Amino acid sequence: MTVEHDTLLWLSKSIGLFYLIGLSVAVMVYVYWPSNKKRFDRAASAILHDEDRPTEGVK
Amino acid sequence: MQVIATLTRSERQWALIILLVLFALGLALMAAGRNDPLAGHGALVMIAALAAIFAVISGYFTPEPGDERLDHYYDEPSKIGLVLAMAWAAVGMFFGVWVAALLAWPDLTFDAGWASFGRIRPVHTTGVIFGFGGNALIATSFYVMQRTSRARLPDQLSPLFVLFGYNLFCLLAVSGYMMGITQSKEYAEPEWYADIWLVVVWVVYFVIYLRTLARRNEPHIYVANWYYLAFILVVAMLHIVNNLAVPVSFGSAKSYSLFSGVQDAMTQWWYGHNAVAFFLTSGFLGMLYYYMPKRAGRPIYSYRMSIISFWGITFFYMWAGSHHLHYTALPQWVQSLGMTFSIMLLIPSWVSAGNALMTLNGAWHKVRDDAVLRFMMVAAVFYGLTTFEGSFMAIRTVNSLSHYTDWTIGHVHAGTLGWVSMITFGAIYASVPWLWKRPAMYSTQLVETHFWFAIAGTIVYVFAMWNSGIIQGLMWRTYNDSGTLAYSFVDSLIAMHPYYIARTVGGLLFLTGTLVGCYNVWMTIRTAPRTSTTGAEPALAEQPLLQPGE
Amino acid sequence: MFGFHYRLERKAIGLVLGIIFVASIGGIFEIAPLFTIHQTVEDAPNMRVYTPLELAGRNIYTREGCYACHSQMIRTLRDEVERYGPYSLAVESKYDHPMLWGSKRTGPDLARIGGKYSDEWHVAHLINPRDVVPESIMPRYNWLSHTALRTDDLSAHLRAQRAVGVPYTDEMIANAAADAAAQSAPESPLVEGLTKRYGEATTVRSFDGNPAELTEMDALIAYLQILGRLTDVATHPASAAGE
Repeated sequence: MTVEHDTLLWLSKSIGLFYLIGLSVAVMVYVYWPSNKKRFDRAASAILHDEDRPTEGVK
Repeated sequence: MQVIATLTRSERQWALIILLVLFALGLALMAAGRNDPLAGHGALVMIAALAAIFAVISGYFTPEPGDERLDHYYDEPSKIGLVLAMAWAAVGMFFGVWVAALLAWPDLTFDAGWASFGRIRPVHTTGVIFGFGGNALIATSFYVMQRTSRARLPDQLSPLFVLFGYNLFCLLAVSGYMMGITQSKEYAEPEWYADIWLVVVWVVYFVIYLRTLARRNEPHIYVANWYYLAFILVVAMLHIVNNLAVPVSFGSAKSYSLFSGVQDAMTQWWYGHNAVAFFLTSGFLGMLYYYMPKRAGRPIYSYRMSIISFWGITFFYMWAGSHHLHYTALPQWVQSLGMTFSIMLLIPSWVSAGNALMTLNGAWHKVRDDAVLRFMMVAAVFYGLTTFEGSFMAIRTVNSLSHYTDWTIGHVHAGTLGWVSMITFGAIYASVPWLWKRPAMYSTQLVETHFWFAIAGTIVYVFAMWNSGIIQGLMWRTYNDSGTLAYSFVDSLIAMHPYYIARTVGGLLFLTGTLVGCYNVWMTIRTAPRTSTTGAEPALAEQPLLQPGE
Repeated sequence: MFGFHYRLERKAIGLVLGIIFVASIGGIFEIAPLFTIHQTVEDAPNMRVYTPLELAGRNIYTREGCYACHSQMIRTLRDEVERYGPYSLAVESKYDHPMLWGSKRTGPDLARIGGKYSDEWHVAHLINPRDVVPESIMPRYNWLSHTALRTDDLSAHLRAQRAVGVPYTDEMIANAAADAAAQSAPESPLVEGLTKRYGEATTVRSFDGNPAELTEMDALIAYLQILGRLTDVATHPASAAGE
């Protein structure tokens, strides 16, 4: 393995940055995509009215 | 053994097979390590396996559970886990008070080698982080995962294997330190064989999680599970990488880390910091995101924000470890990177803390009346404070003062006492009545008592350490007029004495609260469910009972 | 594109992969370059490895958890350099598996403690720190001076060290136990072999003042006295090759 230190450094400093930006954009799009809203709202309130047994037969 | 009765016949057989293998492993360790402390651990494994074999055999012929078991969640592991968590809390915090006292009165070792500061300090850290925190995480994760997925655990045996296997690991760790078995890597002290055992346990844990999620009857995976899953996965990654080592021989408890010097330092603090992130933060945020909305009876303020902070935390934390190594022989660019990400980390952290507190909007009267919810509220506040302090301390110039001093200890305890313990106690007080089908805790008044002991203990402890840390840091760098250092190291040591006493008192207060909690949990479990015994305990009747589904 | 999100939340495995991917990047980008760091950091041609006795002492140091209160990393700050000596260089801990940089100074830094105090001082201090420093809060380690040092497995220790990259020779491994005994017995005929293998500068003396017995006290003090002195690159930068 003869990976140069400078090469690795360059990778860290460039790809790392783009990765960070790309990731944030992806997360934001996912979170604020309008059609996802319903699912999130449902999930948030679903835990409040669970019953004390597993749901059967749905799947 | 009640718990054996919940296993099917074939699971009882498998349990015996696994335990026999464990017994053989213990025997092998004992034989291979004849002239080594390793033999002691071999014996410990054998005894543990033997005790469990007897338990399984004694319950072997109890009737099998029928198919009606599938109509209920499998809560035995959660029940046992919560009790174990409380027990570890008492033990771990007792050792904490002891090590704190050693710094004020160094001869409290009673001349015993195993009781010196260096050996029992990891007993404290492992006892509270892995014993108390770990058991609480495992117990609540099984509870939360089943409810949010509306699916039962895939089987009865594997969750019990995870729980007991994990506790065996903790036992090996803690007893090892006192015998002088340690890797000397902070928060990763257990030696190679215990580390390998933990990997096995952890893989099973992960598989259980995936199998339950795969069988879920909800279209969406609730966000608490994301945090628990990140906790399981990333802890596995960290554990495996940081513990890569070559044992001296298979008959020796000692191993040598694969890494050395600067690489080892970076790997260690990449581990150390992310253990804080994914063990002490991610997992407990999972707890927060389930128990707080549940207890407050309100959905989480912003589900979207919880997802954003999830990815933020998962991403940013990984880069932040190098802030433990400012001004050291670590290359400067890694230090700067660590500092930058530590500061950015404040965003997802505060989003989480804010999200939790906003959830309580409209339920503040409940916070006032219900100490359980108040535990969770205080936890969120301390989470916000500690993450702010953490980002602040990661700044190079601040770190030059704070590093190596008690300030760091104060910071860590603001997080562990104020955030981790508070949310855990809140979750335990919420789940115990739910799990044991009781209307409420044995005594709500004692929950209140515990709360105030915990708050007082945390504040005394943290303020003592802030003061001592800053004084220490300043004394070390103070110059007199002639341009030489003004204080010797011993001068700073003398100045610490009153603060070391104060921190012992703070720890003692916190421990007292925990013992009150242990008693309360125990009495709740022991006392048969009361059917509206009006007047028997007025305090109970006056308190609003917050039940699931309220 | 939104099929991806759909799958991500439907399939737990997607979430798992997402977490692994997101979480591993930080570690990789930060740590991977450090493994090529030898291309850029200083080199110390005169750096020697720990003798078996010093290594045994180091293991006692870790066993007792000394690292919990004593750092071995002098930072590049003026007051630290004045208090403890030249700041620590990466190369100085290159044979430290694991490193003992520490994170807390309940006691002072020990990176350059070697040679600062006499052996007698260390013996007295370890037996009861408060005999020497009345204000000290360090535990007593009095049993070290009457606990015999275990040497039968030292060869295995050196072999494991070589497996992780410390350049011990076959000869060093074969003679580990003898070398450990020789280092604290200046009159012993075995000393010649020890200095041949580890260099003339190796400190050979009875560290605990009792040459008849090889104790854990000998080992620990041998280790403490070599701290910061495996190479002189920090005090004589001219001897550094790469810079």
